[in-house]
Amino acid sequence: MLIDLSHIQRLYRSDEVETTALLDIHLGIEAGEFVAIMGPSGCGKSTLLNILGTIDRPTSGSYSFGGQELTELGEAALAAFRRENLGYVFQSFNLIDELTIEENIELALIYRRMPKAERRHRVAHAMDHVGIAHRARHYPSQLSGGQQQRAAIARAIVGEPRLILADEPTGNLDTENGAQVMDILQRLNDEGATIVMVTHSPSHADLAKRRVDMLDGQVVISVRNAI
Amino acid sequence: MLTTILRGALRQARRHPVYVGLDLLGLALGIGVFLSLALLVRYESSFNAGLPGVERLVRVDEHWTLAGIAPMEEADISFLALPFLRQDFPEIEDAARLLPSAFRTEQGGAFTKFDGYETDPSFFRVFGIALSRGVVDDALSRPDGLVLSEAAAMKAFGTRDILGRRVELNKAGVRSVHVVTGVMAPIHGPNLLARAEMIVPIPGEEARTRSCFLYWGSACGAIVLRLRTPEDIGAMRARLRDFVIRHASGADDDRVAIGPHPEKIYEMRLVPLRRLNFYDVGVVDSDDGVDRNVVNAIGLIGFLALVLACANTVNLATARAGLRAREVAVRKTLGATRRVLFVQFMGEALVVTAVAGIVGLVLCEILTPEIASLTGEGVTVSYGFVLAVLPVVVVVAGLASGFHPATILSGYRPAAVLAAARMPSGGRGAARLRNALVAGQFAIAIAIVICTLVIDRQTAFMRDADRGYSKSGLLIGQQVLGGDLEQERRMLDTLRAVPGVSAVGFGELEPAPHAMSRSDYKYAGPNGQVSIQMLFDRVGPGYFEVYRPRLLAGRWFDPERGQDEGPDADDLLKSKGSFNVVVNVKATTTLGFATPRQAIGQVLTADGLRARIIGVMDDMRFVSPREEVAPEIIFFDTLARVPFVDPIPAVRFQGVARAEMARRLDRAWASVRPELASNFQPADERMAELFVGDERRGHIFTVGAVVALLIACMGLYSLAAFSAIRRVHEIGIRKTLGASGGQITILLLRDFLRPVALACVLACPVAWVVMRGWLSGFEQRVPLSPLHFLVAVAAALLIAALTVLGQTVRVARAEPARALRAQ
Ligand SMILES: Nc1ncnc2c1ncn2[C@@H]1O[C@H](COP(=O)(O)OP(=O)(O)OP(=O)(O)O)[C@@H](O)[C@H]1O
Ligand SMILES: [Mg+2]
Repeated sequence: MLIDLSHIQRLYRSDEVETTALLDIHLGIEAGEFVAIMGPSGCGKSTLLNILGTIDRPTSGSYSFGGQELTELGEAALAAFRRENLGYVFQSFNLIDELTIEENIELALIYRRMPKAERRHRVAHAMDHVGIAHRARHYPSQLSGGQQQRAAIARAIVGEPRLILADEPTGNLDTENGAQVMDILQRLNDEGATIVMVTHSPSHADLAKRRVDMLDGQVVISVRNAI
Repeated sequence: MLTTILRGALRQARRHPVYVGLDLLGLALGIGVFLSLALLVRYESSFNAGLPGVERLVRVDEHWTLAGIAPMEEADISFLALPFLRQDFPEIEDAARLLPSAFRTEQGGAFTKFDGYETDPSFFRVFGIALSRGVVDDALSRPDGLVLSEAAAMKAFGTRDILGRRVELNKAGVRSVHVVTGVMAPIHGPNLLARAEMIVPIPGEEARTRSCFLYWGSACGAIVLRLRTPEDIGAMRARLRDFVIRHASGADDDRVAIGPHPEKIYEMRLVPLRRLNFYDVGVVDSDDGVDRNVVNAIGLIGFLALVLACANTVNLATARAGLRAREVAVRKTLGATRRVLFVQFMGEALVVTAVAGIVGLVLCEILTPEIASLTGEGVTVSYGFVLAVLPVVVVVAGLASGFHPATILSGYRPAAVLAAARMPSGGRGAARLRNALVAGQFAIAIAIVICTLVIDRQTAFMRDADRGYSKSGLLIGQQVLGGDLEQERRMLDTLRAVPGVSAVGFGELEPAPHAMSRSDYKYAGPNGQVSIQMLFDRVGPGYFEVYRPRLLAGRWFDPERGQDEGPDADDLLKSKGSFNVVVNVKATTTLGFATPRQAIGQVLTADGLRARIIGVMDDMRFVSPREEVAPEIIFFDTLARVPFVDPIPAVRFQGVARAEMARRLDRAWASVRPELASNFQPADERMAELFVGDERRGHIFTVGAVVALLIACMGLYSLAAFSAIRRVHEIGIRKTLGASGGQITILLLRDFLRPVALACVLACPVAWVVMRGWLSGFEQRVPLSPLHFLVAVAAALLIAALTVLGQTVRVARAEPARALRAQ
């Protein structure tokens, strides 16, 4: 088991209002899986993904990754964990406006100790992979939404992470661009990457190997798709 | 429109209290400092402006170009010139001779000191001074007349109605009885007579005997002329050279004249009284002048404080512009034109500046008395001036700080703003402008800090510097009228007997000397004859033990050896005799000796007088650190047969507190010369008058440095606050990609401090050039050390880092999930 979540709970407290984003999550994910998470708006999908990505901490519960308990790690160790193991794709791309596409992708490597030449090589490779090499020197605002999302995917995979997290990667894209992105994700999964993706599109969910349905902060169904 | 503007300004203040507060505070500080320093500059530049018709008043200076020493100008001049001036120049409407004097009144054995002048009856007419009691034309017409300033009248009698009262004066031991014939009305503003408390006619006896009334080239007081028109100054100047040739030339042995060609070494100069304080920096015998460059620098600091504050406002406003982009977009969608919006934002800026102006006025009222006490100048808040200047400052500062932000704001395009997910930053250009402004602010602040450090070092150095004699344990009395051998011996014995005294000696030169006499000596060396002018001093036994000068070669005088005895009055008058002398090192280098030792045994001559050098001592600095030490020749007087002419008693003591020692000496003094109060002072107290002005004005730089740094930090803080908000999202992404909090902190600190680092690079060369120039005005000065620059740069970086640290850490700590959500 690559990922093992048990009794994960996440509460938000603000000015006497308490929101339970995640109630009691149990979820196991094997290496090489492609999991699609679905559910109505506000049911806690993004929160779950954030916790998987260690950019948010559960209020209680345990999260083990490859046998290591992550809830016990400090800030610095988590930062190191993220740069070695994780890649992210967001619905709103989250590219930095002030940097070129190339620099944005390189950002995922910059916090690792890696020679400049190798970084360049890997960035070029990742851009090839998603088909945006010709846009390397452009700024995000000069690209279409589909191109920006492909750049974001390139950034997610350039570090060759063990786990790719994608929060509604096709949510801001039209059908054709959405299909392209799904294509890339499937190919990455075929090459061995573990992927967890949140989506509102049943057809995209069907392209994953497993589908997890959530409601009010809990996992209600987990089914394996027939291939 | 006005209400819209006011409402807009109020809403901004309510919504962004920190930004608006910083903005207001910075501007108020800038305006307050500007006003206070403007008052100071105005004060310094209004010297003598309160004298009626001052543009027609001139002082006649002497300018000497003599071999061996730098050219020098003296405020004191031979009074012999005045009758000839009146005769040759019809331009002169009136004139007065001013002999500065210190008077003492004696009442029941207690002395009260009054500063003032012995002068001509024309004094009040020349200066246009009104008398509040008495009649201008009569006040000094009787030889025993006496006029007091109102303050002095209160000090002496407790009332101003004192006409006809009897005053017994004691001037350096000479008693005279006077009758009060007038009381001077105060003169408005700073002026050369500000310290004059007592005015009396020049005693006829003095005019008959003192050399400055009888000989050209001898000087003891100033001549002030009132001309008929301001243009007469130029007209007179053109004819002064001929005047000197006509009246001051004479045969070589003519003691009244300056020689066959006086115009070659001697020049008379007319100095308009209006800016006398600036002019007097380079003039000997005048009151301590004010370095005009320093006054200009103070004005510049005030102006820069205002510029810094405006830069701050531009910075804050452009940063904040993004926050108001949506407001602009909506207004434009609703039909507002660019012009209307521009006026609205400009108006808001003016409202804020106006409020800051009022706070600045309050600050100015608080600051000005502080500045007055720091500088020792009588500057006060003049409302006529401030209220005239303030509106101009507010409008100019408002326009300067509002124009650019208003242009940006009113220029936003609604479609682009409404479509964008994030607030616009004004683009790369605006960001660069903000960084440039912060860099500029810090550059100014750092330059001022460096100058402050250097000035502080130099003034401390002037206080502590080695002066060639041992300062601690040394007390110096007042120069008195000598001539009585018996009394002088008794004086020394009495002082020597005071418990705690280890040595006593007379000299005729003192630290911050009131009088110096110079004469020419010739030396026939291997390279031909050299002629130099040397400062004359005569010292007695004990002098060496009292001052402890450093002997560099040869020996000091020995009272046991008869041949060390110096000249008497007759020898000096007739320039005859052969004597042993000690000279200072400056004399040996001026004469061309490679080492002090080479000078030993050499003979200097002045006509028939032969002076054999037996010792060379290190230079003793009795003059201002600005001036060069002059070559000096010292004769010995054992008090066996020759009395001192104007002895200055000095005492070395130990084992007693200084104040107590001074009291004991004053008491002992009174037992020998009861008619003459003494006032034993440490040498440094006397020297202090030569540089306290520099020291005090240096404090202004400290104020300027603090204010500039404060405003610059406000600018940096707001810049950091703004970009921290803008960069929350970016930081979230970076953290998601694995950046640690430490890496983020370093990244942000580096970005925030980059403009400060640039500022250091800009500031250092400027400060270096400025300070090198300033220091070059001092003969005795500290080296311009890189340490000052390093300290200032390190301090600036540290302060800047502390300023942004809070923002940085807060952003670096933020949870990435939250950061990404906060778009
Ligand atoms: N920072 C927060 N403070 C308070 N409540 C929050 C916070 N973040 C999320 N929540 C709440 O937690 C719940 C789950 O939010 P989450 O973003 O995970 O939903 P989601 O399933 O991703 O919804 P969507 O499909 O709309 O993206 C919601 O009710 C949300 O309001
Ligand atoms: Mg979501």
